[in-house]
Amino acid sequence: MAEHAFLLDLGRCIGCQACVVACKTGNELGEGQQYIQLIEKTQGEFPAITTGWDNHRCFHCTDASCVAVCPTGALYKEDGLTRLDRDVCSGCAYCTQACPYEIPVMYEGKASKCDGCAATTKAGGTPWCVETCPSNALMYGTREEIQAEAHARAEALRARYPNAHVYGENQLDGLGMLVVMPDDPEKLDIPIDPKVPFMAASWQTVVQPAAVGLTLGAALIAGGAAVIARYRHEQEVEELEAQGVIGNGASSSEQEEG
Amino acid sequence: MTTEKVLERAEERLTTAEKLPLGDREILRYRKRPRIIHAMLASSFLILLLTGLVILWPALSGLAAGGTTRWLHRVAAVVFMAVPIVYLIVDREGAKELMFDSFKYDRDDYRWLKRVWSYAFGHTANMPKQGRLNAGQKLHHAAVMILSASIVVSGLTMWFFMPSLGANGQAWAAIIHDLSMLALTLLLVGHLYFTFVYKALSGMTRGYVAIDDARLEHAKWVEEVEEEVLGTAAAEPTSQN
Repeated sequence: MAEHAFLLDLGRCIGCQACVVACKTGNELGEGQQYIQLIEKTQGEFPAITTGWDNHRCFHCTDASCVAVCPTGALYKEDGLTRLDRDVCSGCAYCTQACPYEIPVMYEGKASKCDGCAATTKAGGTPWCVETCPSNALMYGTREEIQAEAHARAEALRARYPNAHVYGENQLDGLGMLVVMPDDPEKLDIPIDPKVPFMAASWQTVVQPAAVGLTLGAALIAGGAAVIARYRHEQEVEELEAQGVIGNGASSSEQEEG
Repeated sequence: MTTEKVLERAEERLTTAEKLPLGDREILRYRKRPRIIHAMLASSFLILLLTGLVILWPALSGLAAGGTTRWLHRVAAVVFMAVPIVYLIVDREGAKELMFDSFKYDRDDYRWLKRVWSYAFGHTANMPKQGRLNAGQKLHHAAVMILSASIVVSGLTMWFFMPSLGANGQAWAAIIHDLSMLALTLLLVGHLYFTFVYKALSGMTRGYVAIDDARLEHAKWVEEVEEEVLGTAAAEPTSQN
């Protein structure tokens, strides 16, 4: 399948929570388990206040920290989205710490996050949140479609919100969730330039292969060398026995005298 | 120590051909309790190694799926951490002696270390005489203790403080944990290497090793034990001064 993406238009989101409910119901999530959280953010002082909704949900980063640290491959990239196979998850919780958006959480001992409705979309359907959004703030499609739509919407929004722009084209090599952002993302506590932590990235690329490689290499070399060394030691013992230094010819008292 | 006690102890440590099924002269290397402690350490370490390896080696990651190995890892970790405590409880003297011997080096130890390659390739002749532990074993013990401390601290950090570690904290803890285990595993490879080359396994299974082997590799220790057995009667009067 081609690269797919979500569109999230924060100029249109009315915070109705319909996506939250549809996601929970459609994906049959457990009690207390949520892939989407809508958090109201308010700025300014009454009466001059502005509010907005932080859609706290997976941004499907191309350069995904969670995938970089996942030891079992339970988290992986597919069609531009970040999938999660909970059956494969070992529950190490590395992803909960690595994500710059703090998205994955542990639920019943395993990681829990949006997987882009993998099962639904593969069957030809639309993700539950997109299907249900009453204000047309969500869309799902190929990355090209979504990119064009996002730019058109940001352009239209600029008449009222001069800072309106598309968020997610450059962050972490591009997000699978393009956001029409009416204003500064930090007003919604969304980082402008999130980064994969260096140490998180080096675990899988350096430490893992080095540790496994060195261990196997050392075991192989030591195994070969041990056979040779044991043979040489046996030869030495034979020589010493022939000389009477050890073995039946040499008792402990003789040794002391010698 | 009275003569009777010394002889009793020596009897236990130095055995004769008539007493042993193999017919060779053997010497008691490790008593039962240290052998049990060693088995506890070895088995927990191997379980920790295997249950850790499944999340380090992508080809094995299928085995970690579901989280069973994660729980096994924690159970084995508790056993591993309990080893020094159990050692002190069941064999206080032995544990103290091991600590003491492991950190005390003499001139022969330094000279021995300079020639360690010769020993590593199977040559004991011309090696300086060694005590109960050779200098390599002393270094090995020190390294195991330090690395065990770092692996326990980083492991407990991930076990109990994961939610507040942050991305870099988590990565550091995991990397310290992995590198400590890498070093311990390399030490294990060396440990098995010398066990194989010098046929030392029986010391940890039955407790006895061939006295001829011991004389080549731990001459000073054998002399000490023989002193206890053969020299006690002569030494008795002077020891009462």
